[in-house]
Amino acid sequence: MPGKGLLIVRQRSLIAITAALAAGALTLTACGSRDEDGGGSDSNGGGTTVVIGVDAPLTGDLSALGLGIKNSVDLAAKTANKEKTVDGVTFKVEALDDQAQPSSGQQNATKLVADKDVLGVVGPLNSSVAESMQKVFDDAKLVEVSPANTNPALTQGTKWNGGEKARPYKSYFRTATTDAIQGPFAAQYVFNDAKKKSVYVIDDKKTYGAGLAATFTEEFKKLGGKVVGTQHIDPDTKDFSAVATQVKSSGADVVYYGGEYPQAGPLSKQIKAAGAKIPLVGGDGIYSADFIKLAGASGTGDLATSVGAPVEDLPSAKEFVSAYKAAGYKEAYEAYGGYSYDSAWAIIEAVKKVVEDNDGKLPDDARAKVTEAMQGVTFDGVTGKVAFDEFGDATNKQLTVYSVEGGTWKPVKSGTYEG
Amino acid sequence: MSGVGPVEPGEGTHAWDTVEPAPPLLPGTPRERLRSLYARHRRAALASATAVALVACGSYLFATRPHDPPPPEAPNPSQAVSITYLGQEGTPAGAPSRSFSFAVKVTAQDGPTITVVRISQPYASLSLTSVPRPPFRTKPGFGHKIVVTMHVTECANVPSNAALPFLDVTLRNTRAIEDHSFILGERYAHDLSGALQVACSNDSRSSPKR
Repeated sequence: MPGKGLLIVRQRSLIAITAALAAGALTLTACGSRDEDGGGSDSNGGGTTVVIGVDAPLTGDLSALGLGIKNSVDLAAKTANKEKTVDGVTFKVEALDDQAQPSSGQQNATKLVADKDVLGVVGPLNSSVAESMQKVFDDAKLVEVSPANTNPALTQGTKWNGGEKARPYKSYFRTATTDAIQGPFAAQYVFNDAKKKSVYVIDDKKTYGAGLAATFTEEFKKLGGKVVGTQHIDPDTKDFSAVATQVKSSGADVVYYGGEYPQAGPLSKQIKAAGAKIPLVGGDGIYSADFIKLAGASGTGDLATSVGAPVEDLPSAKEFVSAYKAAGYKEAYEAYGGYSYDSAWAIIEAVKKVVEDNDGKLPDDARAKVTEAMQGVTFDGVTGKVAFDEFGDATNKQLTVYSVEGGTWKPVKSGTYEG
Repeated sequence: MSGVGPVEPGEGTHAWDTVEPAPPLLPGTPRERLRSLYARHRRAALASATAVALVACGSYLFATRPHDPPPPEAPNPSQAVSITYLGQEGTPAGAPSRSFSFAVKVTAQDGPTITVVRISQPYASLSLTSVPRPPFRTKPGFGHKIVVTMHVTECANVPSNAALPFLDVTLRNTRAIEDHSFILGERYAHDLSGALQVACSNDSRSSPKR
């Protein structure tokens, strides 16, 4: 039988060990609590729902660009909800299909205005569609941010080229650069870098295409280039053999096309098939992977300008590119993905400002307040610094020339407007 | 019987070489044996368990300690530099006839140093020099004034009225070297057109210098 002294020693040891175990357990508890501190609660807190509308062509020929816009806005909303960017507000996305038709765009605008939860709209893709929507949104003081419209008149009025710039609608903003820069930038590249001196200009008669062709032509002539022919095409057809023959006989060493890829692809193919082995150049409307598919192998060497710097090259876009991939969207983000994310984020930032200025709640005149706040929004976005000038145009004005090489668009020159 | 040999087993005795099962070292089921082992080495076991727990926790805390965020990746140099047009300048002494000068401000954002490797312009009928002469390094956040002098080599093909002329600049930082066009805006376009008209006017063979 153990003696009394031994028993005391054993009890003391037990107490010491128990204390050590308790300390260990507490430490382990601390181990587990670190993550929870930073993560926050996962609940939405049952706050307000704010809807961001999207208007874009989700079906039809231009759906590749439209779906990239929709998905990118969706990603922005999900990110804001996950990060609880606006306390007490959950963002939802309502995407409507305009099929690139102005009439559909106007109906969608009316529908979005009727939903009181919609506090901002991203879109549309087409400048002609934007023209039909602007007034509807402006009458309702509902802010609209386009990631893709490039026609200068949308922000600077129809007399912009005569030096009389006047903003027609206070509720309209855009993150894309305008054709007032895109057309001349393309002309400078074609004339000075590509050394092409005679051009055949074609457009689709639409607001975007005709406008872009005009700004290109004006600058190309000023540089000393010659316009050896002009023609309009019907965007509803895919047979361009007549104009292709005219291009061939004109002796042009380059074709400039103001329009979009569903027509530009076959046009390029048919011009080459007619025997004119000259590049076709277009704007952001042809900067799509679908153009390359439609133009075929003979499209190698064709050129496109597009808004912004190549997203893949921007450190600020890395997170967007990987998040887009991780989200598992079926369609690529295409030419306007980064600009669409930034457009949606501008709305989120404006909503945040309005909520914060109103003691954490949305005011009764939330739409008007969000539109007002948009003018002062500034943040580091996917495409760089996002802010708007007095016309509602993006202050970040970058452009890139891409060339079709090896079945893909390769950036060949980038420029920044610093005026 | 003589000699040494095994004793004959008698009644009630067992033969010595009979195999009997050895008594168990520790009686009972494995669980009981473990309990018995633990009872005999309780202090050592508890001390070991505590030590293991503390070491595990310490390792976990060490491995998951907050790290300083990695330094942000340097942007492409063209995304970290702005070039703005300042205005016309007097042409330096010794410049050839049909020359004119203007100044631009090169400003690099905070971050890795950016070197201006080359400044050029895209028109075949013009040549360009600048002071300071590239390559030169920019100081982040500081506006460097660069005086650019253009010389008309052939009046027939000058861009007399370009709306958006630009300067081509080659920039380098730790991330990349790249060519970028800086479109300097309407005032630059206006001044360039005016200077070209003066340089190539019939009566200005000796007067393009300002």
